[in-house]
Formats: sequence, structure tokens, C-alpha cells
Amino acid sequence: MIPPVRMEPSVPSAVPSREALALLRILVVAGEGGSASGLLQNLRQWADDGRLEIDTAPDLPRAVRQLSGQRWDVVLAVLGEHPDDDLSWWVDTLRGATGSPRLIAVAQAPSMGLVLRAEKSGVLDVLALPLRREELVRALERVRSVVSETAVPLPLVEPHAVGPYALVGQSAAMLDVYKLLARVAGSSATVLVQGESGTGKEVAARAIHMNGPHASGAFVAVNCAAIPENLLESELFGHEKGAFTGAVTRKIGRFEQAGNGTLFLDEIADMSLALQAKILRAVQEREIERVGGSETIPVDVRLIAATNRDLKEAIKQGRFREDLYYRLAVVTIRLPTLGERGDDLVLLTAYYVRLFAQRYGKKIQAISDRALGLLRAHAWVGNVRELRNVIERAVIVATDETLRAEHLPDELRGEEATLADRPQGGLLTLAEAEARHIARVLAHTNGQIGAAAEILGIHRNTLTRKMKEYGL
Amino acid sequence: MTGPPPVRVEKALALMPELEALAPLRALLVSIARPDEATVWSSSGPYLTLGKRGVHPDELRRRMPQAFQRITEHLQALFKAYVEALECQQRADAAGVVLALLGAGRLEEEVGRHTQARTWYEVALRVAETLQDRRPEVEVLRALGYVCVALGEHAASARHFQRSLALAEAEFDQAGATAASEGLGDVAVAQGQWGGAQAWYSRGLRLAEAASDAPHAGRLERQLGVLARKQRDLAAAGEFLRRARERFEAAGPPDEMARVLNEQGRLDAQLGRYTAASAAYREALAWAQRAPRDARLELSIRLNLAELDLEAGRLLEAEAELRRAEQVAIGGHVLRPLAQIYTLMGRLRGAQGDETGFVFFEQAIELAKAVERSVATEAQVYHAYGLFRSRLGQQDEARAYLERARELFDSLGEAVERERVEAELRALSA
Repeated sequence: MIPPVRMEPSVPSAVPSREALALLRILVVAGEGGSASGLLQNLRQWADDGRLEIDTAPDLPRAVRQLSGQRWDVVLAVLGEHPDDDLSWWVDTLRGATGSPRLIAVAQAPSMGLVLRAEKSGVLDVLALPLRREELVRALERVRSVVSETAVPLPLVEPHAVGPYALVGQSAAMLDVYKLLARVAGSSATVLVQGESGTGKEVAARAIHMNGPHASGAFVAVNCAAIPENLLESELFGHEKGAFTGAVTRKIGRFEQAGNGTLFLDEIADMSLALQAKILRAVQEREIERVGGSETIPVDVRLIAATNRDLKEAIKQGRFREDLYYRLAVVTIRLPTLGERGDDLVLLTAYYVRLFAQRYGKKIQAISDRALGLLRAHAWVGNVRELRNVIERAVIVATDETLRAEHLPDELRGEEATLADRPQGGLLTLAEAEARHIARVLAHTNGQIGAAAEILGIHRNTLTRKMKEYGL
Repeated sequence: MTGPPPVRVEKALALMPELEALAPLRALLVSIARPDEATVWSSSGPYLTLGKRGVHPDELRRRMPQAFQRITEHLQALFKAYVEALECQQRADAAGVVLALLGAGRLEEEVGRHTQARTWYEVALRVAETLQDRRPEVEVLRALGYVCVALGEHAASARHFQRSLALAEAEFDQAGATAASEGLGDVAVAQGQWGGAQAWYSRGLRLAEAASDAPHAGRLERQLGVLARKQRDLAAAGEFLRRARERFEAAGPPDEMARVLNEQGRLDAQLGRYTAASAAYREALAWAQRAPRDARLELSIRLNLAELDLEAGRLLEAEAELRRAEQVAIGGHVLRPLAQIYTLMGRLRGAQGDETGFVFFEQAIELAKAVERSVATEAQVYHAYGLFRSRLGQQDEARAYLERARELFDSLGEAVERERVEAELRALSA
């Protein structure tokens, strides 16, 4: 039922995209109450090879004015007494600037925390005052290397359309999914789709619906986690007018809306136990009652549920009903993460670039080698949804026929290894390595110190002290 | 990640009684709430609201000393102000007493304790009324006028400003008279009486110009620009804003410059000049950064920027800006604009034809009732909610929500807004 994805053979042909030795336009911005003249003099002295065009702005507001009027490649900004705040303002400011200029931040004795935050935000470099020639020149060289990206043609992808979405991918993991989807679609069996956030659970559910016996009916999706608990029951089963405060009219619930079609209950693990009992009854008895109503209404729907949680674990913790689980998981489909799908990332990228290029009236035919490298290196926590989001934003800001690294979000650019440029040949000091590792673990635990200390195997007081020491 | 999952804010707040003593704890809880990364990318991620953010009790416990420190500092400052008042009393310096009590009221206002601030000002007023020199009384009355505006007590506010103006004029206190005129204009704006506001601001401007009080004159010109824009006299609005900008550009306070540019952005947006509006908002943000941190000002600019993007169909940018505004509001515990943020989020989902966007209106209504306690905001949310339902073809629900909005605007005597809703209702019936 689901045709395999066809792809034209893609032999990447490298074409130079811009002149490697292009002129760099640099805007130098003084810190609050400071002057940029010394900095400007140094910059001209150290890096004047005829390929730099330098201008200054006395402060952030005037810099914003200059940035809105012209295109700049680099902003060299001196951070003030509150470097963290200044840095986040600069990152925010440059987001809306013409041509996405890169930021080189200059600060008095920048802390390790500032450097790590800057890296995460896509800041090209953080330099300490007084400026050292070799550091500045190295940073500017990195901008030049950015300018000389190579374009790689995007492969052609013919996806299988599923409603407003599409199934794209040829990896072994996805081929297994396609086979299972084909087998299950023909029946009316209840299906449980499992997979991490953004792996495409709703797309899979739509594919089952469109290729099954209920295809002529509606496909109704309900996101159980998005809807406040107190409203979810009436959303699912409907309500009579006046059933509760705010029930201003009679409402037909999603079960009824999906009559003779498919009801897709996404993030089902987020439902309260009381509501789970009502769902169980609807599944077993195939009838419902509206909130505030006394009439029993028969419903004929195919139910597909999805979750990114481990339902068996939730059952053990008493947060999910076992009887409902067995009712839902007649057939279980597990979707792979983007990381498990190998080169599907390239196909998905190509598919989304074309989709959004068409939507936003752009003619994008290629992606730069560096941009593709960044996409490959990124840990896609949000899987395909995150990739789709990143590509949509990139397409919006792209101005020519190639999607470049500069079009990707700061977070991705910030992940690019900068260590090779370091004087020690990319080797970290022990303190730097420790600070980076602590920052990574803290990000993993969402800033929870207790959990981070546990992972690191140190006492929380020790962790707090180290965080302070590194300015994290 | 190890450890139990975070507790949702909606559940955490349900466990906390509405006690004054717990307000700092509530503020702390909200300010540290955040979505976890997996939730952000889940299919419910786009519908995240404050209530669905998570809080770790462990983190709350860890941050409690910071909250205690802030409370202690606040109390210390209040006690110090009182002791200063007492010392002045001892020296028979009644004007000093008034000044110290005013200072205490302002400290309360800074942390959003308007009712407590009013109590301080009332004590200060009793002392000021006994003085030969009426200027302290002029100042206290003005403070009372503003705190009453913040509390939504417009009639009381107007009375205080009127008295302040009369006393200032009697004392030939030109600065006091200018400020009182501005206050009266602000009350009129809060009540939707634009003609009255224009008269008061114009009078204030004449006084400020006569006294060569440039900062005050610039502020009044901005206010007149706002009024002119609201009354669709866009050429006059542009002229007022240009003059205000000239006054502040050279040496004015950066927050005033940010306010003028924020208003310039709104004017450009109304004129359909998207690029100019966007540039004005971005420059306004830059000026705001130079001023002492004012989350309300930043939020106002960001919301205008988001609305501009929304109206220009730049939905991704609008959403990103709204999420940044949400973070500023939650992190800075400026919760009042959240209802507006979620209303815009709901409008954005409506523009995408996304029915689940109703969750934002539901959250906005809850916030308007529980946090902002503003009928006007609630009415605006219902208005937008009705339009959202209408856009999705749910006419019965649309009508019900618009009727609720009309009812609320009626209760406020808001004729202009009421008429807009009435027009929507007529269009629905047609």
C-alpha cells in the first residue's frame, strides 16, 4: 500500500558557492560608556589586508540602526559589566539582522560559563580584553572559511503523501515500519504507535487510516497532553449546553466527530486515570455519553493511540491502566528515531527544502557541505519534527539557491567544533574539559543539580562549587 | 535523566492557598518553571502554556534562600524608610516624614504590592495635609493617583490628580501641574476617553514647554502621538513622535527613547510599513537594553513585534517572538501580559487553522481572571476567542464567546470595544 520512496541517483558535485576571498564587512560596537577607537585601530593594524571593510557604532541602539540598513558579515561587540545579559541581547538582536552576521564578543576576563553559553548560541568567538592579534585574526579566518562553503545538489525525493504530511525514508528501520503499516492498515484493529517525540506517530496513524476500511470517514486527532485536564473529557465525549461553567453551547465530542472514521489519541499516557476508565468503556462498549447528558450514543470508530512514554513502566508506577493498555496495544508499531534512520536525514532534508521552498517562493537547489555536516552532527532530540522546523526556518532566511550553514539556527552553528582552531591543536585543559562536561550533564538534567551530581558521581555541594567556579 | 518527573505548574499552584504570605513563593515557583526538552519537541510542545511547564521541588527548595533574601531586603528597606520617617518626626521635619513614607510606598509599588503602597501614601497624605508648603502634598496626591490607576480605581485616581493639579497651580508649582495634567490624561486613556486625554496632555505639554522641561515634554508628545494614532490622525501622530524622538535622541533616558520607538513601530505598522515598523521595534529593544531592566517595557515591544509578524503572515517569527516574550514574563515574574501572549498564540493557531489552539484562549481566560484580575483583559480574550471559533467555522461557539465579550465590555462602559464586538456579531448573523 505504501510505495517505496524513489530517489534519483545523487552524485554530489561540488561547486564553489562564493569567492573564498570575499570582502568582509565588520561592524565594531563599543561597550556601554566605552569607545571603540582603540579596538578599531588594532583591528585595522592587525587585519588590514585590503579585504576588510570596517565601521563603528557607539552603542547597541545605533548598531541596530546600522544593521537594519546594510548587510554585515561580522559584528565585533564589546560586552559591558553584565556580559551574560549583553550577550543574550546581542544574539537576539542579530537574529533579525540583514544577512545573519556572525558575532564576535569581546569581554573583560570572560568566564567559562560565558564561553559555553556563547558557543551554544552560535556566537563565532569570545575574545578576552586586551585583544590579542592572533586570536582576532584566527576568528576572522573562521568567518572566511564560512564564506567558502561548497554547494551539494539536493537529491530528488518522491514521497508518499499522507494527508498534509509525507512518509519519506528508505532506511532499513523505516522499511520495517512500512511493512507493518501495510499489514495492519487492512484490518480494524486498534493500534498503539510508540516512538520518541517527533518521529512521526501521527503520520503513521494517518497512513493506517487512509489505507484502511475507515478511509472514507474522518481522521480526528486529539492531543491529550495539549488539552487541559479539566477540558479533555468534554473535548473527547462532548457536552450538553450548561453542563458546566463555560459550556455555552452543545458540543459534539471527538469520538462522535470521528464516527465511521479514525480517532487518533496522541500522547495518551498524559491522560488521568479517571479519563482512562472512560476511554476503556468507550473502547469496550463502543458507546459514549456527553458530559452533562444522559443519552448513550453508539460510536463506530477505529482507535489509534500513540505515546512517547514507556506505558509498561507507567503501568508499574500505577499511572496507566493495564486493561486499557491491552485494549490499545492489539498491534504495536515502534517508530525509529532520526538517529536510527541513517541517510534518511538527507532525504528528509531534501524533501523539506523543496516543500518549504515552494511554500515561500524560493528556488533552492542545493545545500552546502558545511550545512549538511551540521545537520548530520546534530543530536535530533525532536527527531523529524525538529529537522522540519530547522529546515523551514532556514528556507525562510535563505536568499540564494543554496542553503548554507549561516541559515541554520544558532544552536546548530554553535555545535560546530571550534577546537581545531585552538593553539593547542584542539586539546582542552582539564578545567575546560570538566566545565564542558558539567554543562552537558546539567543540560541533560534540565538544570537539576541533584540529578546532575548523581550522574557525575560527586556530592551536590561539590557540583555547586564547581558551577560557581566555572561561571555555569 | 534520573529522578521523578517534574510537577506541572497547574498542579503545583492548585496545592498553594491564595495567601499573601505565599506570594513570593508563588513568584519563585513560576519563575523557575520550564518545559523539559522532550516536551518541547513532542506533539503537545506547540501548545505549551505556563500551566504545563514543570517544576522540581528540589530546585524550589534550593532557590528558597534567594527568595528569603529578597523578602528580607524588602522588609529591611521598608523598616529603614519608617525609621527615617520617625527621625524626621523627631526633628519636627514633617516634609522629611512625607518623603520617607512616599519612599516606602514606592518600594511596595516596585514589587507589585499596590494596595500596600496606597496605605503608605495615605499615611503620607495625612502628614502632608498639615504642612504649610503644599508641594509634598502635590507629590503624594500624584503617587496616590498612579497607584489608583494600577488598582483600576479610575474615579479615585482622577480625584487625586485633580486635587494635585489645583494645589500645584495655587503654589505656582509648574512641574507639579505638568505631572498632574499628565496623570489626568493617563486616567482618561485608561477609561477610553480619548478627547479628554488629549486635552489634558496638551495642557501638560504647554506647561512643560513653558518650564523648558524637555523630558516631560517629550513624554507628553509621545502620549499625544499615541492618542492621535488611536484616532487615526496618523500624520499628527508621526509629527508628535518625531518631536519626542528628537528630544530624547540627544540625551534623554533610554527607556523613554525605547517607548517612543515602540510607538513609532505601531504607527508604521498601522501605515502598512512592515520593514520600518520591524526596524523601529528592534531599535526600541536595543534602547530598552541600555535602560535599567524593565520587563514590562521589553514585553510590550516584543508583543508588538509578534503582532506585526502575525499580521504580516510571518507566523514562525511571530511564534518565536511570543515564546521569547513568554520566557521574559515568566522569568521576570511579570505575569500580567501572559494573558495577552496566550491570546496572540491562539490567534496564531487560528491563522494556521489549528483547532487545538483553543487551549491558549482557555489559559488566557484563566490568567485574566486569576492573575491579572482584569475584566477588560478577559473581555479582549473572549473577543479574540470568538473570532478564532468563527474562523474555524464554529459559528455557535463564536457567537457565544462574542456575546460574553460584549457583556463584559458593557460592564466596563467600554463603548468603542463594545461596538467592535457588536459589528462582529452582526457580521456573524449576516
